[in-house]
Amino acid sequence: MTEKSYWKSLAERDDRGELEASEFAEPLEPAGAGTDRRTFLRAAGFTIGAAALAGCRQSSVEKAIPYLLTPEGIVPGRAYWMASTCAGCEAACGVLVKCRDGRPIKLEGNPGHPVSRGGLCAVGQASVLEPYDSMRLKAPRGGGRESTWEKVDREIGMKLNEIRDGKGRVRILTTTRSGRATRGVIERFLAGFANGELVVYDPVSCSAILAAHEITHGRRLLPRYRFDRADTVVGLDADFLGTWISPVEYTNAYTSRRRLAGTDGTMSWHAQFEARMTITGGKADNRFVTHPDDVPLVLEGIAERLGLREPSRRRPPVRIRQADIDLVASKLDSARGRALLVCGTNDLTAQLLANEINHHLGSYGATIDISRPSRQKEGSEEGLERLVGEIREGSVDALFVAGCNPAYDLPGSARLSADLRTIPLLVSLSSHIDETAGLAQYVCPEPHFLETWSDHEPVSGVLAVGQPAISPLGSTRSAIESFAVWSGDPRNGLEIIRDELAVAMGTDPAGAWHETLAAGYREADPAETATTWRGAGSLARRPDDPAETSLSLVVYPSVGMLDGRHAHNPWLHELPDPVTKVTWGNCASFSPATAARLGIEEGRVVTISAGEAAAELPAHIQPGQHDGVVAVAAGYGRLGTERFALTGPEWLFRRRLQPDGSPVGVRMGEFQVSNAGSANWVAGGIRVSKTGRMEPIAMTQSHHSLSVPAHLDTTGGRRRPIIQETSFAAWKENPGAGEPESHHIDADLWAPHPYEGHRWGMAIDLSACTGCSGCVIACQAENNVPVVGKDEVLRQREMHWLRIDRYYAEGEDGGVDMVHQPMLCAHCENAPCESVCPVVATVHSEEGLNQQVYNRCVGTRYCANNCPYKTRRFNWFDYPREDRLQNLVLNPDVAVRSRGVMEKCSMCVQRIELGKMEAKRIGANVADGEIATACEQSCPARAIVFGDLNDPGSRVAKAAADPRYYVVLGELNVRPAVGYLRVVRNRKEDEHQEETHV
Amino acid sequence: MRSRVVTLSLLVLGVLSLVALAPAVRAVRMPGNHQGYEPVQPIAYSHRLHAGELAIPCQYCHYAADRSRHAGIPSAGKCMNCHRFVTAARSKVRAEEELAEREGRKPNRIVDPELEKLYEALALGSDLQPDPRKVQRPIAWARVHKVPDFVYFDHRAHTVRGIPCQKCHGPVETMEKMRQEETLLMGWCVECHRGVNGAVVAGQVATASTDCSVCHY
Repeated sequence: MTEKSYWKSLAERDDRGELEASEFAEPLEPAGAGTDRRTFLRAAGFTIGAAALAGCRQSSVEKAIPYLLTPEGIVPGRAYWMASTCAGCEAACGVLVKCRDGRPIKLEGNPGHPVSRGGLCAVGQASVLEPYDSMRLKAPRGGGRESTWEKVDREIGMKLNEIRDGKGRVRILTTTRSGRATRGVIERFLAGFANGELVVYDPVSCSAILAAHEITHGRRLLPRYRFDRADTVVGLDADFLGTWISPVEYTNAYTSRRRLAGTDGTMSWHAQFEARMTITGGKADNRFVTHPDDVPLVLEGIAERLGLREPSRRRPPVRIRQADIDLVASKLDSARGRALLVCGTNDLTAQLLANEINHHLGSYGATIDISRPSRQKEGSEEGLERLVGEIREGSVDALFVAGCNPAYDLPGSARLSADLRTIPLLVSLSSHIDETAGLAQYVCPEPHFLETWSDHEPVSGVLAVGQPAISPLGSTRSAIESFAVWSGDPRNGLEIIRDELAVAMGTDPAGAWHETLAAGYREADPAETATTWRGAGSLARRPDDPAETSLSLVVYPSVGMLDGRHAHNPWLHELPDPVTKVTWGNCASFSPATAARLGIEEGRVVTISAGEAAAELPAHIQPGQHDGVVAVAAGYGRLGTERFALTGPEWLFRRRLQPDGSPVGVRMGEFQVSNAGSANWVAGGIRVSKTGRMEPIAMTQSHHSLSVPAHLDTTGGRRRPIIQETSFAAWKENPGAGEPESHHIDADLWAPHPYEGHRWGMAIDLSACTGCSGCVIACQAENNVPVVGKDEVLRQREMHWLRIDRYYAEGEDGGVDMVHQPMLCAHCENAPCESVCPVVATVHSEEGLNQQVYNRCVGTRYCANNCPYKTRRFNWFDYPREDRLQNLVLNPDVAVRSRGVMEKCSMCVQRIELGKMEAKRIGANVADGEIATACEQSCPARAIVFGDLNDPGSRVAKAAADPRYYVVLGELNVRPAVGYLRVVRNRKEDEHQEETHV
Repeated sequence: MRSRVVTLSLLVLGVLSLVALAPAVRAVRMPGNHQGYEPVQPIAYSHRLHAGELAIPCQYCHYAADRSRHAGIPSAGKCMNCHRFVTAARSKVRAEEELAEREGRKPNRIVDPELEKLYEALALGSDLQPDPRKVQRPIAWARVHKVPDFVYFDHRAHTVRGIPCQKCHGPVETMEKMRQEETLLMGWCVECHRGVNGAVVAGQVATASTDCSVCHY
């Protein structure tokens, strides 16, 4: 390989001119175009009138209302923290809830948590917005009307008594609820009926893994994968850094084996077989683009190479290269006891093969923990299918649906909805009127997890407790409380959990309980007994030959939307997908070759159909994707998301991008297929047809692109790299490997800054960063960043202070490498923004911060145009918040910016000031690590380090001294305070190409 | 000649009107300057009595001033630490006691009408015990000292470094009704910050930065 160049979009790769044209971050609206005299007068009249009225406002008497009796421990103006457990997905990460004046305003990872270890993903960060959703149900509903708990409980109780007497069937349908107390309450409720059953399913299922372990280990379990113990990681269709099972835990563990400090670092080797581009594949050292149907064959090939199977005669399969399999198998073989193979394919044959390989490699007991297994996914499609059959034949007398939405998730939803309506007693515990709740006779809304007591057991023996941080904002009741009432044993959530967990609390239950609340979890004995390998036996069979299909559809949970449970969260809708960079909706991703073959261009609406299922989506061209696959994100098209149709500022040229009443994105549930009892999100044999329509995709990949001036080219005429990369082997020889030829800087125009006290800086390890985007939402929550809506995103006006630039490069063999680079204000020493501001609204602080003074800013936007990193954001409007209630989430320590001013990353200066004030209060110096920016705190990979560059002992000063440290566009001599640590890939083939590549 | 008379008289008129308008001109202030603001409070609380005569330390009531951005307006519960027992001025209580002694009866509890409002807020009965028929209603004080929303002033940094409260709030211990003594404008803040940075204040070297982001973020 000669020269490697990173690009953001296919258009950029093919034509360098496009970028220069879009250098100015926010193109001007074509003034006058389409504005007639009337419109102009209307706008002018409104502006003058509004300005005149605003000027007449008299300052009012402001009230200061203190508590009558101050609650213990509350000091006005000081945040207080509560340890709790995130219920954004089943991973159940530990969180610390930051509260002010009785309301949660920010979630942070709990550094002491044994599973999540201090990180938090984008979904977890965004969860703090959800209690303040005015569309949540505020009271129970009965018969389609708002009701009261007394009435609803009485009626449900009467019906349940009838069912009990008639020995009817009672079913509870939930997603995985791992808490022991929760389980106990549900079991006790069901025990009251002759025929009661709990049915657990997960919309994104791992049932084949559970079933495979039932065969090979004699118990249905989901092992706990210990990436922190693995030197060789092989992933097959498992996006374990993105969305698979427990991504925060896995990201932390995975990066802990790839941390390069000093020169004695070790680095795991990671190979990934996958069909679509995922952030996990982007981190892989070797990525093999593989059709999902071929994954069992790959596993079989590895098993054969390891001597587990007789070589079959049908090799080599056309679509898999034997060399890749040989490489992976030999790497695995040489790392016995330190190797880990994970497979995300929900197929029993594949999972049995994976278990055999892992057993052969000695992974069980080493990199795979089954003595304390994970309990994050327990769903079974077998039980679900049985339940659907029972519903169909009309034999279910009562169905309680908690935490899931079968009428949305499952295929055949029209028929299922009709069947659900015939159930004599259908109760939904949903917090919104969703697809299923709309069919139910009773809706008994659950509160948000920040409003109630809950318990989880993410890993066997880790009892995680969720405690409320705010009183319920409506008259809601948690599932455990509801089932306790319906069991005739009404208790509140606190009592239930404390009583149920009392066994685990030892001899001093009161003290232990307080410790548990303070820590957020308690370690206890696992419920399971040890198991041993039993072998796959007769069930181990050869995978079938994949059917030859033209195109397969892969429906995947996206990093923001997951399976659709967070569809009411505008932060997650506006979060650009880490790979496609698409916001506000889903699209159909095609590989460049397939798109060319079908004659599809970006934004062309295509119809995808398989059997009776059909969906119309705009097309997106995605590098790094398998040619035989169309990939679409799940979780969109949810009922209730019509509310977002007009999100964004109201102004004359606002475009209505969604027809009234249509949801955000398109539902893909109909395409789910059942494959030998496992729900599968890969559908073969789909048809794709073009329509005549184009639909704009609100994609941020080319927004705010850095332009590299030609005069900075190296002597060889190469473009200056924004991403610098090297290989592990080269790095071991020379830790500075991969550094391009440096640019000569003659003189400085400006006098140097003295920096007598602190000098804040940041270093971001691009080798650790996965692009998970937790930091983006953490920053949004911390800094009151508004949501602008799809129309404004299309105009490149998204407001995120921290964005993640995603770059591609041609890897070897025509593959595609992907790198993520978090990009935020670099707080340059010689800041180009400062020198062009006519009103001195952006100035350098004594501590190295580039300060933005909102009150001075008059909105010339010169600074944004002069910023080489394109990190400045202009408030084109006073962005209306989706609903008034959501303003309760605002951080009172950060000003809400008004129309007409520029804003950008402040390096969480409110946290810096707080840290300094607290140090002053106790008479100490600010210790390294005491001040953490929101992005740094949230990062599951610990890729971001913030601190004082003037303190030689600080982590950031050490990082800045690392030979891997570089600054983007350093040749401009702007001297940014934010630097990056070079990407290192553990790639064998790289040994001879550690040269500078661009 | 005539024109000179006109000019002269115009000049005189001008000077006279300037003199007449001078107080008004001096009273013109920048928007946001509320110096001298002295609103009516829901309870006629006297800082002169509590902070001056009784010499109660400021931070007994404004308990958060050394640990938070806000100084903290005391809760009604805090008032009750004393006013559970002190229900009226001592002179009035003494007078009632003397009268009762003369009349040979038990003295009645004298409750000051202003303190009555405090007990009302806490929904207490005449025996100062919670009265279930009443509703608790927090006291809505009129806020006197206020900087705009885009200013993040921090009390703790100033209090722990020994800056007396009076430096910014004026002679509170002499004020019957709370009044804003200073302008609280940015120039006023910066004047002090510039002057003391690096100087020794209350025995310590002050670090009073004039960076924008010390107060604005």
